[in-house]
Amino acid sequence: MSATMSLKDDATPSTGPLLSVEDLRVTFQRHGEKPFTAVDGVSFDVHPGQTVGLVGESGCGKSVTSLALMGLLPKRGNRVEGRATYEGTDLLSLSDKEMRDRRGRDIAMIFQDPLSSLNPVVSIGIQVTEVMERHQGMSRKDAMPRARDLLERVGIPDPNARLKNYPHQLSGGMRQRALIAMALACEPRLLIADEPTTALDVTIQAQILALLKELVQDTGTALIMITHDLGVVAGLCDEVNVLYAGRIVERGDRHRLFARPRHPYTHGLLSSIPRLDSPRGEKLTPITGSVSDNLPWTSACAFAPRCSHALDVCRQESPPWEWESDGRGLRCFNPVDPEEVRRG
Amino acid sequence: MTSYGDRRRERIDDLAAAASVDETPGVSLIASAWRRLRRDPIFLVGLAITVAFIILAVISPWIAPHDPASAPLLDKVRPQTNPVPGPEPGFPLGGDDRGRDLLSRLLVGSRQTLVVGVFATIFGLLGGMALGILAGSFGGAVDSIVMRIVDVMLSVPSLLLAFTIAALAARPGQTTLIIAIAIIQVPIFARLLRGSMLGQRASDHVLAARALGVKRRAIVFRHMLPNSMGPVIVQATLVLAIAIIDAAALSFLGLGSPDDRQPEWGQMLGRSQEFIYDHPHLAVYPALCIIVVALGFTLMGESMREALDPKTRR
Amino acid sequence: MADPRTSRTKAQAGDVLVDVRGLKVHFPIKRGVIFDRTVGHVYAVDGVDLQLRRGETYGLVGESGCGKSTLGRAILNLETPTEGTVLFDGEDIASLKGETLRRKRQHMQMVFQDPMSSLDPRQSVESLLVEGMRAHGLDTDKAATHARLRELLQAVGLPPAALQKYPHEFSGGQRQRIGIARALSVDPELIVADEPVSALDVSVQAQVLNLLEELQDEFGLTFLVVAHDLAVVRHISDRIGVMYLGGLVEESEAGELYDLPLHPYTRALMSAVPVPDPVLEDTREQILLTGDLPSPSRPPSGCRFHTRCPWRQPTRCDDERPQLRVVDVPGASEGHRVACHWVEAIASGDVDRHEVAAEYVGSGDATTPADDGSPFGPASVQEIG
Repeated sequence: MSATMSLKDDATPSTGPLLSVEDLRVTFQRHGEKPFTAVDGVSFDVHPGQTVGLVGESGCGKSVTSLALMGLLPKRGNRVEGRATYEGTDLLSLSDKEMRDRRGRDIAMIFQDPLSSLNPVVSIGIQVTEVMERHQGMSRKDAMPRARDLLERVGIPDPNARLKNYPHQLSGGMRQRALIAMALACEPRLLIADEPTTALDVTIQAQILALLKELVQDTGTALIMITHDLGVVAGLCDEVNVLYAGRIVERGDRHRLFARPRHPYTHGLLSSIPRLDSPRGEKLTPITGSVSDNLPWTSACAFAPRCSHALDVCRQESPPWEWESDGRGLRCFNPVDPEEVRRG
Repeated sequence: MTSYGDRRRERIDDLAAAASVDETPGVSLIASAWRRLRRDPIFLVGLAITVAFIILAVISPWIAPHDPASAPLLDKVRPQTNPVPGPEPGFPLGGDDRGRDLLSRLLVGSRQTLVVGVFATIFGLLGGMALGILAGSFGGAVDSIVMRIVDVMLSVPSLLLAFTIAALAARPGQTTLIIAIAIIQVPIFARLLRGSMLGQRASDHVLAARALGVKRRAIVFRHMLPNSMGPVIVQATLVLAIAIIDAAALSFLGLGSPDDRQPEWGQMLGRSQEFIYDHPHLAVYPALCIIVVALGFTLMGESMREALDPKTRR
Repeated sequence: MADPRTSRTKAQAGDVLVDVRGLKVHFPIKRGVIFDRTVGHVYAVDGVDLQLRRGETYGLVGESGCGKSTLGRAILNLETPTEGTVLFDGEDIASLKGETLRRKRQHMQMVFQDPMSSLDPRQSVESLLVEGMRAHGLDTDKAATHARLRELLQAVGLPPAALQKYPHEFSGGQRQRIGIARALSVDPELIVADEPVSALDVSVQAQVLNLLEELQDEFGLTFLVVAHDLAVVRHISDRIGVMYLGGLVEESEAGELYDLPLHPYTRALMSAVPVPDPVLEDTREQILLTGDLPSPSRPPSGCRFHTRCPWRQPTRCDDERPQLRVVDVPGASEGHRVACHWVEAIASGDVDRHEVAAEYVGSGDATTPADDGSPFGPASVQEIG
């Protein structure tokens, strides 16, 4: 597997990006409340066949980013700015109808909670074929055998019988597989998975991750993986973006990022989670405070109050985005010294 | 069980569930409901009517132009030719068939309506709470027995039940009216409170109190009950509307106070039947009063209920 | 307050504080129009033997539906055990009721998964903390109570000003600290922590894990930590028990469990946990289980894991339920116990791994057997064994 991975790593830069997100900004403004910027100038590219990870804790804006890209944010109470160029068209400027035509056909999404993403009163078979009827003009008769194949493809046992089942008759893992089958129905070129395994048990999570990995390799679909779990990212993503309070604070190839995290937040996260492979008895180094301590990005580094590396400048100026020599992006005035990481 | 009873039970259970579903019960539930209510025109209209009615009922004896029991227009009543005196200076709505001022009777009648509605609801609430606490805190067999009784009561149409109770009473009167209407509210409150208390019973903070070794009485009264009261309070405003209509209905049928010196809208409506063709205004005014007041409470209660129900949010 | 402290110093660290024998918790599945009829059982905990030694942290790990939370609650008698005994300091908790049980709760406390829902939103922190002390007659002296409250807050790292605040004014991590302070308020010997960090943000989890460790050292507590996250459990525990469908399948010292997982389920579980290390993720061998967890209302016969086991053998696995036993595997210590008939053969490589065809299990919801096909639902299902 590692051989195919490295092959792909080499292949990605030669082709142009499939999706290019530039300076995406989402501001929520609820009646009578202060506006809240959930996504604050996020930019990243996704190349065909590439898996890009967006990692961060709850409230960092990773899910809002995906919803904004899919045009799924509620109509009122928010403002979306920036560009998301997908094969030459800006997704953010499309009308509702144009976006509906693309959703499911060009870009498909997999959600965290498969039960609430599936229609409870319609059988799995109909739900999978509906996507094909809608986007590819197939008749239900033609679509049904294909739906069967899709279910089989995503590893659902006895797919003929499952076509007639309703969502509540399937287990959580099976529902997530059914949802993936629906997402794959029109062979989209980009798949967005928003915490697809968070609601699942770890052995089921392993199954689903293996399935996603296999699909990306076999079909050449690009995948945006949104998760809070650094372990999931480490095994799956080619490029990793770490988000904090609505901004990307560090980006890098997964091998470099995990081996030498430079941003204090990434570094802090990695040293605060207990690992199965770390020597026992080692004390965890937590990140102090909580997100409620954050400073506004406009005039400071949001992470500064919780940062062990914070300088005076971190509380006075917003750190700019900078590219490092090893192709890694960083938003920090005082990044962690690689030597220190090795010792820590 | 009848579908009628089922429908009522469902409605009650929905409301009970609404309170327990919220991820942060208590403080923020009420607070977030209030934030939405403040901007809800339906709620504001209901609130305005209700407040106006309550103020009117309290001050009516002082603003009524005449004593509702006295008959200043008695000499204008001609049983054969003109049984109901028309409007004249000082009597804008005219009099009734006994020469009493109609406006004064309508104004003071609001008092009776309020008294019956409020007391019936309070007694119904207390009775229902007692049963609900019993069922909700003990569970098991106690719960089964109490709830079966409650279900049987709910499956009988409430007005029919109230008639039966009022008709069985030794002598009709205001007290009988209040008791009859209170009894029909008991199962509603009981089921509602029991539902939301069972929700609380399963909640983590009650389990936490149990794990801590807190005494059962303290758990019920300090943790379960206060967190279950939200839907009960909403229901109480809805029940007030029903109580007012039911009280009017019972009085209309002569099951209320026989003493007509104390005016009451339903009773006035009932007495107006004789003259309904020639003098429909005698029926229209009290009927309008009943409708407007019941509407006020209903609008207020329904919008509160909606605000509490997570299914209708956003 | 002085009593348990002195007894604790007298008691030998390492002797058995909690002794669980043959514990079963079965929840009846009831259906009926007027009178409820029991139509089956959910076998949440189905025969567990477990010893907690004084001063240790025992980690209970398993996937959802394996009964680990129920087991934790049953040990505290918050779920009434169907069968079996729970000896706490020599006294059987499982048979206690009413006031005697309530008094006993002083010695065994619980920390919950969701710190928001486990704190009454209408109670101030002070009232939350005093409540338990009052219930056990520990708040006799006003000044002493107040000193104790400050001491508790300090122990969990909250400022004294927190006393007047309400739960919603705190962040998730701080709420969990309040929950821990509440458990400590009655000076318990045992604390059962049910998923103590899984509701918290990743960056805050470490704070709470470290706090639990500090408190254990400071107060000589015995912990039972129930969690689904193997890495968390491994980090905090001295010994670990792995549960699958209501029973323990493996029990071992924490380090050894990672170095030498023996039960097929433990091996699969261990290999499924993602590690934030790309090199390791790419190279390590994963044992992917097929299919889903069977419904706990209809557990498979014999070894509960045989329907998904990649090492399943034609004999014994299907019809004979393996007991937890000390195994004869090189490197396995005395305390390493495994419930598998073939564990020695698997460890030595005499039994090979094979493919398993996934079976359709249906939704995990025990009350709606999916493939029943009967319009009456489970009421028409025959009594389940």
